Amino acid sequence: MTGLGRRFGKPALVLLGAALIASYPWLVPNSYLVYAGVLTMMFAGLATSWNLVGGFTGYVSLGHSAFFGLGAYGTGLLITRAGWPWVLSIVAAGLGVGVFAVIVGIAAMRVRGASFVIVSIALVAAVNLLAQGWRSLTGGSVGLRVPTQYGELTRLEAHYLFFYLFMGLLALTLLTWWFMDRSRFGTGLKAIREDEDKAESLGVPTAGFKVVAFALSALFVAFGGGLYAVWFRNLDPIFVFSILIGSYMVLMSLLGGVRYLFGPLLGAAIVAPAGEFFLLRLGETQIHLTAMGLLLGVVVLFMPEGIIPAVAKLFGLRRPPAASIREDTAEQRATLEEAAVQ
Amino acid sequence: MPSGSLLLQGLALGVLTGGLYALLSSGLSLYFGVMRVVMVAHPAFLFLAAYLTYSLHNKAGLDPLLTILVTVPLFFAAGVAIQRLLIARLAAETMAMMSVLLTFAMALVIEGTLGAVYTGSFRSINPEYATKSLDLFGTQLPYDRLIGFGMAALTLAALFVLLKVTRFGRSLRATIQHPQAARLVGIKTERVTGLGFGVGLATAAVGGAVLAIITPFFPAAHWAWIGKLMAIIVVGGLGSVQGAAIAALLLGVVESLVLVTVDATWATMMFYIFLFLTLLVRPQGFFGGRLAQRF
Repeated sequence: MTGLGRRFGKPALVLLGAALIASYPWLVPNSYLVYAGVLTMMFAGLATSWNLVGGFTGYVSLGHSAFFGLGAYGTGLLITRAGWPWVLSIVAAGLGVGVFAVIVGIAAMRVRGASFVIVSIALVAAVNLLAQGWRSLTGGSVGLRVPTQYGELTRLEAHYLFFYLFMGLLALTLLTWWFMDRSRFGTGLKAIREDEDKAESLGVPTAGFKVVAFALSALFVAFGGGLYAVWFRNLDPIFVFSILIGSYMVLMSLLGGVRYLFGPLLGAAIVAPAGEFFLLRLGETQIHLTAMGLLLGVVVLFMPEGIIPAVAKLFGLRRPPAASIREDTAEQRATLEEAAVQ
Repeated sequence: MPSGSLLLQGLALGVLTGGLYALLSSGLSLYFGVMRVVMVAHPAFLFLAAYLTYSLHNKAGLDPLLTILVTVPLFFAAGVAIQRLLIARLAAETMAMMSVLLTFAMALVIEGTLGAVYTGSFRSINPEYATKSLDLFGTQLPYDRLIGFGMAALTLAALFVLLKVTRFGRSLRATIQHPQAARLVGIKTERVTGLGFGVGLATAAVGGAVLAIITPFFPAAHWAWIGKLMAIIVVGGLGSVQGAAIAALLLGVVESLVLVTVDATWATMMFYIFLFLTLLVRPQGFFGGRLAQRF
């Protein structure tokens, strides 16, 4: 590759990809496929947000649907109860959830590994219970209806609008990931993933870093939830607070590859349409859950690093620095530890 | 303020429910003890057992409690197979996280399959003895709850004897305490771990049979139990069977008392409040031994 190609090749490729994705709603023949596109775009954003904490720190949260649901309910309540405009509602609800996530993070990030997963499951169960129990505010298990916020638009036009809104959120999240990946903050988080005790002894402020990453991730997920509330307009507590949504984020990230910028996006592009397909084909029964479970099992057992390295390996394209620090050379490790010390 | 007799009733029911919780969470302590695995699919297996009990009761006419003669060996074999063939394949470094995801996938497979076979509607088993109550000092104790408590006590006693008295139990406890040292004194830790997993899943077969006579069930019912049972094993101290049993009784009583004095939402919320308080105050749990401190 020439110098020019190396400098502009990658950004050009990303722009081309973005243009292709942006033209999707205009290329498909019917409104159902546009709807499925919005859903896929939403999950791509959620999974990428999840990866801000899951990918960098290695802390697997199965409870991120708590932040999704809180963002959605917060937005819905601000619109219906306080009469706020929807954009303001989404931003305010998202920021509120971000603050909440700081508090939760301080408690939850104290424990590691298995205990952390348990906490994240308990978090979503507790919030779900609250949403269903606090009937006077949330409408209980009946759910919350959000009045339409986009006046003249038809349902299909609203799908177009929200496709691009979700895409914008995804772009923002990807940009955040990209910046974090190159920052000392991101390097510190990766050090936590590889060996938390060592990172701490080298002076990485692990507790603070983890909480910030957790809250940042929750913030973007809550924005996604807010957009969902305005787009879908019918909030069912059992759906928005289900562990299933949280596990979708995990499955998508893992399938694509948690160490890659576009990993979760790739995973979402596979899992979300597959989920819709299973639902359409096998909808009557619950067998689509079985299909999803088998897919997750196969990913965990056979390609825990994701498709990207698996495919690259297949074609012999594997680049050396993509691996975990444990598989790195001593030289690379020294550089990283130096960065962590600084 | 509720009357004294209502509180007494709540206390009595709380103890009975707590005993059931102790049975349902005992398997989780075993998995965590032998392999540091958080088995998210345990509640799904409980309901799988409940459905098998339902089928054996309706199709073959077996008494619900006798169905464990079929399901316990089946679940034991399945547990050994799951550990040997699936969980043992995971990389050691990422075991804690990946095992959660793998068992989560199992839960989805079980729920989906149950939904496809039995449909999503409620099922229940109502044998004749389960509909009456025992009147004791002014408190009503339903027979199905008493039977559940009895089954839990028997199973936990059997588990206790198995762990404390038998040779297998000794090697299992050694494997839990220090796998390397256990290997050094000649224990085949891989085999013991697999068998320990089998024993854990076998408790799910008993728990499922008891659940089936106590409460109506549907394929997605296991979600509500994941959080509750996880809270119990964390409060008790991860990996400690006795600790989990004490925490189960405690939380059963607390839940029941809150249920009669406040409402059902707060009764369930108690589990999560206790869980978060435990992690803030004493992350290793209140009744666990040294093992729990490392997590």
